[in-house]
Amino acid sequence: MRIELDRPRCEGHGLCEEAAPQLMHLDDDGELVIDVPEVDGPDLDAARSAVRVCPVAALRLAAA
Amino acid sequence: MTAPTESDIDIWDDRILVDPYPTYASLREQAAVVHLPKNDLYVLTRYDAIRDALGDPETFSSTSIGFNLMVNEALQGTSLASDPPTHTQLRATLSQNLTPRALRGLKVTIDEKADKLVAELAASGSFEAIDALARAFPIEIVADLIGFSGHVKDNMLRWGQAAMQVIGPLNQRTQESFPIAGELYGWCSSVTADDLAPGSIGRGIFDAETRGDIPQGSAGHIIHQYLGAGVDTTIASIGNIVALFGRHPEQFELVRENPDLVPAAFAEVLRYWAPVHIWGRKATRDVEIDGVTIPAGAQVGILFGAGNRDPRHYGNPDSFDIIRNPVDHLSFGYGPHGCAGQGLAKLEAHAIIEALARRVKSLTVSGELREPSNITRSFEKLNLEKVVSA
Ligand code: HEM
Ligand code: SF4
Repeated sequence: MRIELDRPRCEGHGLCEEAAPQLMHLDDDGELVIDVPEVDGPDLDAARSAVRVCPVAALRLAAA
Repeated sequence: MTAPTESDIDIWDDRILVDPYPTYASLREQAAVVHLPKNDLYVLTRYDAIRDALGDPETFSSTSIGFNLMVNEALQGTSLASDPPTHTQLRATLSQNLTPRALRGLKVTIDEKADKLVAELAASGSFEAIDALARAFPIEIVADLIGFSGHVKDNMLRWGQAAMQVIGPLNQRTQESFPIAGELYGWCSSVTADDLAPGSIGRGIFDAETRGDIPQGSAGHIIHQYLGAGVDTTIASIGNIVALFGRHPEQFELVRENPDLVPAAFAEVLRYWAPVHIWGRKATRDVEIDGVTIPAGAQVGILFGAGNRDPRHYGNPDSFDIIRNPVDHLSFGYGPHGCAGQGLAKLEAHAIIEALARRVKSLTVSGELREPSNITRSFEKLNLEKVVSA
């Protein structure tokens, strides 16, 4: 699966990073960087949690 | 006989507003959607139903977030009351100044102010926490942020309360609040850059308007939404922090021992007692949820607090337990309209919790009072005695 970010909608709340620090991080400007966009196996669960906690629904998982 | 998915309660009954959780529990056990004929309303009661609805603005339109026609008309053209794609544009302008990155520079000042206030109050040994803390602190922060002082600051409590109250149905509380909410609207429509302190975010919003970065005439509306949505809610949540630590000393002790738990503690305060207890949407088509149909055009009421205590989602939902760290609670809403000010609310509340953990060893609540209110649920009075400084 592929993690997709709706960039204009992302406000940098950072909850996704807390849920999946191995997959994404907020850079020094507070912009979200997705370090690992293609996920499977255990990463997929972390990616699902990240998608789930984003308070503005800016992240989604799509078929790779 | 009422149908199994109908209830004859009045959700704005004074007793329910003050103590809604038993009612929420029985509505939630009845169905995910319950029709309340007395209020001409379909309420959403379960976690999944609420989250799905908030994530689906095509079916659940924000054109009817309030529960009377007058307020919905007054809110037309705001981010709060519009649907995508218009909403997407308005939201971008509105949230620009409120994102965690925009607010980063404020953290130090907010932390210092919280620490000073809490230290003074703790040293006094006993105090009334609503006026002295829950109201005083957010009003000072928002006044600095927007850049106002004087009579505007003095009126902010009444104005903020009224702005929320008028979202309710046309009951006496709403009618009495309309003129007061009108004062806030009047000030926001007439304020100019020169009225606001240089360097404030409020002033910055006017500068953006002058530069043409945001549409002409939108600065006053943006400030109106910050004040309408951000004052009464934050006040409620800070009062709730103090009250819940008073009731659950062992939970307060956990935060004192480990300040890393501050964000989890605030998330649990918000989950346990939702500051906003009901909020509206309009069904744009017949929609079926768990076997119950909401007819097209019907007024929908979202019961954030009922969803937050849904045992289908949270284990042991009626216990206050900061360790659960419920980051996915519903109190800030969710999705496209998810609270635009949550970054600021967290800055303020985390600062207060940190200051309490640092400055207070223990506190005892000796008296509390709630007044019924249409939309926000908060304490009117919270007397603390035997506050022991750390
Ligand atoms: C603990 C404090 C707060 C709570 C519980 C809270 C709650 C909420 C909720 C439930 C919504 C969603 C409304 C909907 O779905 O239609 C919302 C939206 C909003 N909030 Fe907050 N809020 C808080 C603090 C603030 C603050 C401090 C500000 C601003 C300074 C603010 C500004 C807004 C705005 C502008 C919206 C509308 C966003 C949109 O429609 O796109 N809120 N808030
Ligand atoms: S949680 Fe959502 S809004 Fe926050 S940084 Fe992640 S994607 Fe962006």
